[in-house]
Amino acid sequence: MSTLAELPSPQLAAELEAEHQALRRVWNDRGGFWGWFSVTTHQAIGMRYIVTAFIFLLLGGVEALLMRFQLARPENTLLGPDLYNRIFTTHGTTMMFLFAVPVMEGMSVYLVPLMIGTRNVAFPRLNAFGYWMYLAGGLVLYGAAFFNALPNAGWFSYPPLSGPQYSPGKGVDVWAQMITFTEISAMCVAVEIIVTIFRMRAPGMSLNRIPLFCWGSLVQSFMVIFAMPSVMIASTVMLLNDRTIGTHFVNPAEGGDPLLYQHVFWFFGHPEVYIIFIPALGMISSILEADTRRGVLGYPAIVLSQVATAFIGFGLWVHHMFATGLPQIGEAYFTAASMMIAITTGIIIFCWIATLWSGRLRLTTALHFVFGFLFIFVIGGLTGVMLASIPLDLQEHDTYFVVAHFHYVLIGGALFPLFGAFHFWFPKFTGRMINETLGKITFWMLFIGFNVTFFPMHILGLNGMTRRIYTYPVEMGWGPANALATVGACIIALGGILFIANVLNSRKNGKVAGSDPWQAGTLEWAAASPPEPYNFVRLPVVNGRYPLWLPAEERAAVTGMRTDKREILITASVDAEPQFLHVLPSTTIWPFLAALGATIGLVGSILTFSWYYVAVVLAGIGLLGWFWPRRPLEQEG
Amino acid sequence: MTPTRTLELSGLPRYDISNRDPLFFGQVLLCCIEGSMFCILMAIYFYLRLSVDVWPPPGVQLPHVTAPTIALVPLFLSALGSYWASQGAKKNDRPAMLVGMIGNLILGFIFIGLRYREIATLNFKWSTDAFGTITWTILYLHTLDVIADLMMTVVLTVLIALNRYGPKQRIGVHVDSVVWYFLVAIWIPMYFVLYWGPRWVGTP
Repeated sequence: MSTLAELPSPQLAAELEAEHQALRRVWNDRGGFWGWFSVTTHQAIGMRYIVTAFIFLLLGGVEALLMRFQLARPENTLLGPDLYNRIFTTHGTTMMFLFAVPVMEGMSVYLVPLMIGTRNVAFPRLNAFGYWMYLAGGLVLYGAAFFNALPNAGWFSYPPLSGPQYSPGKGVDVWAQMITFTEISAMCVAVEIIVTIFRMRAPGMSLNRIPLFCWGSLVQSFMVIFAMPSVMIASTVMLLNDRTIGTHFVNPAEGGDPLLYQHVFWFFGHPEVYIIFIPALGMISSILEADTRRGVLGYPAIVLSQVATAFIGFGLWVHHMFATGLPQIGEAYFTAASMMIAITTGIIIFCWIATLWSGRLRLTTALHFVFGFLFIFVIGGLTGVMLASIPLDLQEHDTYFVVAHFHYVLIGGALFPLFGAFHFWFPKFTGRMINETLGKITFWMLFIGFNVTFFPMHILGLNGMTRRIYTYPVEMGWGPANALATVGACIIALGGILFIANVLNSRKNGKVAGSDPWQAGTLEWAAASPPEPYNFVRLPVVNGRYPLWLPAEERAAVTGMRTDKREILITASVDAEPQFLHVLPSTTIWPFLAALGATIGLVGSILTFSWYYVAVVLAGIGLLGWFWPRRPLEQEG
Repeated sequence: MTPTRTLELSGLPRYDISNRDPLFFGQVLLCCIEGSMFCILMAIYFYLRLSVDVWPPPGVQLPHVTAPTIALVPLFLSALGSYWASQGAKKNDRPAMLVGMIGNLILGFIFIGLRYREIATLNFKWSTDAFGTITWTILYLHTLDVIADLMMTVVLTVLIALNRYGPKQRIGVHVDSVVWYFLVAIWIPMYFVLYWGPRWVGTP
């Protein structure tokens, strides 16, 4: 406890040590086999999200490599057409549903309570339940591989291709139900993050003082609340029921419409891009604050732009459907809305450039990734503006130009910031510094590998190479660019291996970090590295946007909270004045059991509808155990 | 470094049974999720309706309007039971909580009974055509939600009746009534969409 050593008075030090010991007894999760399934602290669950998501990233990456090897030369026979279909579907599904969204959520679950100065998320059991549902969803998808039931109709599973007529077997059903798992998980996290940020901030942390990363998480969570129900309706209600119980949502013969599926899917699918991207914006702001050693310029402009991006993000979905022959007036509206996004993201990028310009730069690995982001994302944004114009989109639709565009946006816009953030917060997660030299080499390999892989795809798309073909004849002349892209993919893979090696090595042998190795200003750096399960011995009181940059004599801490219970402080939603105290639940296995019950039923529902009732009954039993009051009951005041 | 200046908060209340509790916020957000789901279903209803000339298709009868209209009476009254229970929870008045929740349960189950009768008399299935599909889906999902909340109310009633409750369960009673208001309120637009919309506008 280096923090204790710096304390002014021995009496205070003794008090703090006693509180620390008491809090430790109350907040430590149980050990042992069952203890592992009963964890409810946000650091443990957040880290599980992050590690699980990185494992899925690895799987999705291997699938991508397989595709690149297949396409490396014309008329290759490494993968047959059916296997290729299954692999690209699983790749897209994994990256979108099992990696990108959950990893952002994991970062929020881990960091938000630390950044706003509280001890856990608002609903710790819901948090645990969400993680188990996510894990179950991933296992369902990859478990299907053993039954030859990997989906093969693309990550958005358009009917009629995904309908009963053209996709027999259980692959599409597995896909549809996997969505249910991951969306339930996403909604659990969204609800608890919003409530945590609105109700549990440290005293004094009014809304205009919360870290920009928390704004990102907040905006993302609201988007999840309003976007995710849409994909559950598309996949579970429309597609799965059409396939299993004979409803007619997408069957034109009985008054249904396949285009309706596209509308409902993309009403989720486009906001999904921002659900992934907006937390990444928050990560960049955090990195910039620390590595330019100044507050990010234009805090209100950045916050408002993030909120505006979220609103506009719900009005863009039709630009994925320009080639479906919709009325032109509607298409014109969606073109305008799509271009508007360039304004809000442009504002944010200019604020960052100004911050970089006026700050004192420290060229860390994290900052390298931010520069990588700026370069790649701006290119992706420009091709986005190109694709938003209908005449061009009609030419490029379903070609590799689109593949290039969305990889520039998603890898540039989310993966690079995420890697930067991971290097940045690694000392907080593990208590040790990550090796910066290897980190910078990782960056350059990923950056070069990325551009070598995906830049040629623009050219391939312009030359007419369509998405999702498993091979192509020599005469098309696409061989050299594809070979180059495969070389790039190999460089990315080497960068990935180097990253894993660096993480594993630094975790054991890295330099001990201390609580604030970057001299950053936000509250997570006031906690120990790695944080104690209760985060802060005494909750901080905040009187500025960067509390740790204020002189020590201006800081204060909360006293008078019970240390024999998992007690937290509820503060006012806007100004964070203390309102009342609130006891959070301790460790419990019931969320795991509820998730297990729901999983059994939902897996059954892939085969027969009536298994939904099994899900309801089993999860209901789980919820009963979850909510049944334990003795001694909380006392009336 | 832990600061020496302190903000002493041991005098704060230990709980607050009102709309300031985090559980209330969480429940409102869950209602937002459910609400977006129902809004999207209504949008789907209109999309399907606008893409055909005759709605409902020939041979399919519109659902009768009488039973669902009568069912509105117990539904609206049941919200009063919820309100009674929630006021009781705030004042820690056990009889009021029990009366309110039992009243809510009786009226809620009458509503479900009428809903069951209504569904049993429909002359189409979910698999008849797109009209049948969306009508059944809306009815089914709303019924499922109502039953789920009634189950939650049953559990809370048992806990209060067994005297096995503290502030957390009282917040549960309050929040349970908030969910019920939501389920009653969201039914109003769906009622008009399903039963009156096709009668007022479009084909006879």
